[in-house]
Amino acid sequence: MRILIVEDDLEAAAVMVRGLTESGHDCASAPDGVAGLDQARAGEFDVMIVDRMMPRMDGVTLVETLRREGDQTPVLFLSALGEINDRVDGLKAGGDDYLVKPYAFAELSARVEALARRRETGSVQTLLRVGDLEMDLIGRTVHRQGQEIDLQPREFQLLEFMMRHAGQAVTRTMLLEKVWEYHFDPQTNVIDVHISRLRSKIDKGFDRPMLQTVRGAGYRLDA
Amino acid sequence: MRLPRIFRTTPFRLTLLFLALFAASASAFLAYIYVATAGEATRRVDQLITREMRTLQSAYGRAGADALNQALIERAASERPYLYLLMRPDGTRISGSIEESPLDEFNGDPAWTSFRVTEFDVQGREINRPARGLQERLSGGEILFVGADVAEDEAYVVKIVRALWGAGALVIVLGLAGGVVVSRNVSRSMTGLNTVVDAVRNGDLTARAPVRGTRDELDELAVGLNEMLDRLERSMAGHKHAGDAIAHDLRSPLTRLRARLEASYLDLEAGRGDPEAAFAQAIEDTDGVLKTFGAVLAIARLQAAGTAPDPTLFDPADLAADICELYEPLCEDNGLDFKAERVRGLSIRANREFMAQALANLMDNAIKYTPQGGAIMLRVRRRSSGEVEFSVTDTGPGVPEADRSRVVERFVRLENSRNQPGAGLGLSLVVAVAEAHGGRVELSEGPGKVGEIGPGLRVAVIVPQAA
Repeated sequence: MRILIVEDDLEAAAVMVRGLTESGHDCASAPDGVAGLDQARAGEFDVMIVDRMMPRMDGVTLVETLRREGDQTPVLFLSALGEINDRVDGLKAGGDDYLVKPYAFAELSARVEALARRRETGSVQTLLRVGDLEMDLIGRTVHRQGQEIDLQPREFQLLEFMMRHAGQAVTRTMLLEKVWEYHFDPQTNVIDVHISRLRSKIDKGFDRPMLQTVRGAGYRLDA
Repeated sequence: MRLPRIFRTTPFRLTLLFLALFAASASAFLAYIYVATAGEATRRVDQLITREMRTLQSAYGRAGADALNQALIERAASERPYLYLLMRPDGTRISGSIEESPLDEFNGDPAWTSFRVTEFDVQGREINRPARGLQERLSGGEILFVGADVAEDEAYVVKIVRALWGAGALVIVLGLAGGVVVSRNVSRSMTGLNTVVDAVRNGDLTARAPVRGTRDELDELAVGLNEMLDRLERSMAGHKHAGDAIAHDLRSPLTRLRARLEASYLDLEAGRGDPEAAFAQAIEDTDGVLKTFGAVLAIARLQAAGTAPDPTLFDPADLAADICELYEPLCEDNGLDFKAERVRGLSIRANREFMAQALANLMDNAIKYTPQGGAIMLRVRRRSSGEVEFSVTDTGPGVPEADRSRVVERFVRLENSRNQPGAGLGLSLVVAVAEAHGGRVELSEGPGKVGEIGPGLRVAVIVPQAA
């Protein structure tokens, strides 16, 4: 996957490049908005990571410009501004996700993967399948090995999100944001409890567990 | 040359402007008085002269020039106040009480003139008296002049004009004096405000403007300024407190982190220890520090903003339902009995995200501090005051009454909760959220002490109901 990192903090950019390269991605970086715009126009990228506040051109202007030019590459905004308004502004400008600094690398990596995946599955799906697990999005039913699994509405949403990002690590924050639509950090392990409920429903009685815990990151649904 | 300060003040300038307007209207007023009095006197004299002229003309018409001449001589001898002059068509004098016409040119049309007559009094002194006259050509070609002494009228007019000038001068003097007095007063108040602004600009946030209790706009301005400064001072103090608190609260986990890293380093050097575990621990510690930092920042921003951004209208019961759904499994896992009571149909205008976070913090706290076998109740109701109340009640150890006001402060953690995770910011954020929505937080005792359980804690977030 080709990733463009537009970040004026060169050390932070270097850490991102190194980490993402080790995860098998092909990275390019630009130290400011103008250089970032040039690179974005020149190369085909799968995901862009854009800092909001940069010299010469800020991230929001950069993304607005690209979107006007018809470039739909998924963008993850990085920002030291964490207020709700800032997030809304960033998403309005054409950003696809928003990560507040400081962040854990695992969080960044998981979100980048999720953004790239979203692009691949552009068409509207009515059936999700991961290994022997099947989800019918219209009938709102879930089967594993042909056996129906009864889920609460929120558990269904949670599993849907996990299935759409199967094989990727998803963090607790991502789950809270995308499934519950809250952007704060609960002090207790409230998400873990929901995951363990879901796990007991989809994995109990089957020989191979699908819902894995990823240390230091979150969870992953494997086929 | 610089004008004295009083002349440069806005009130004084406004006074001058009003004075100019006032003087203009006073002039119009005085002009009217002049026309109505002095003008009237002149018109009266003119009427008398005209009447006399007609009388003489009719005498002339009846009996000719000689009869008129006779009449003039008789009239001049009598005590009538008129001046007469009868002239031949070429302008030479026939008879009359004056020697020559005061008119230099006469083309035959009736002509008015104002002139002076010279008389000698009994002591032989020359007296100049103002007079007015009308000259007309008679049907036979002779010229008749009839005049009248207007000295008395003139004196009357002069008096009126003098009085009017005096009145005008008085208007200006009184207006100016009033302006000075008014602007002095206003200036004094403004100076008080300016002094405060100067002091604040120079960094003294404790300066306050004097409030005179007159309840006028300037007083309102002073009160407003003082309130603004109060808030600014509180906010600054809050920021300073937050800074101190961050320094204090981040120092200990950072110190711990450093010590652990150092120990791991020594272990690794000695060929002992598990580097992976050391790193995992270090990252976990760092995350803790970052979490604390994020919470402090969120509180500081809310307090600095004063109001919550992006308020939307929603049913508090829906929000509570969401929170219940999020926390119910956790309660169950912790062996807690969780119940919710939600009155539907209320509505509040609030930032949903912040309100959710506040409720989540209350739930987090309740779960953290309530021992297994206890119970937690989330309630949404309408108070008799009309406000909307969210409350979370637990059966944990509660907070002694004396400590209740203290636990909502930042970083305050009671002695027996030190071993629990958290930075002591949860309730502070709840308070900040409530205040940003024009509400408040109340702490009270839970259901009471039953054996080993209780007495519990009830935390209520009270916000106004949307109109």
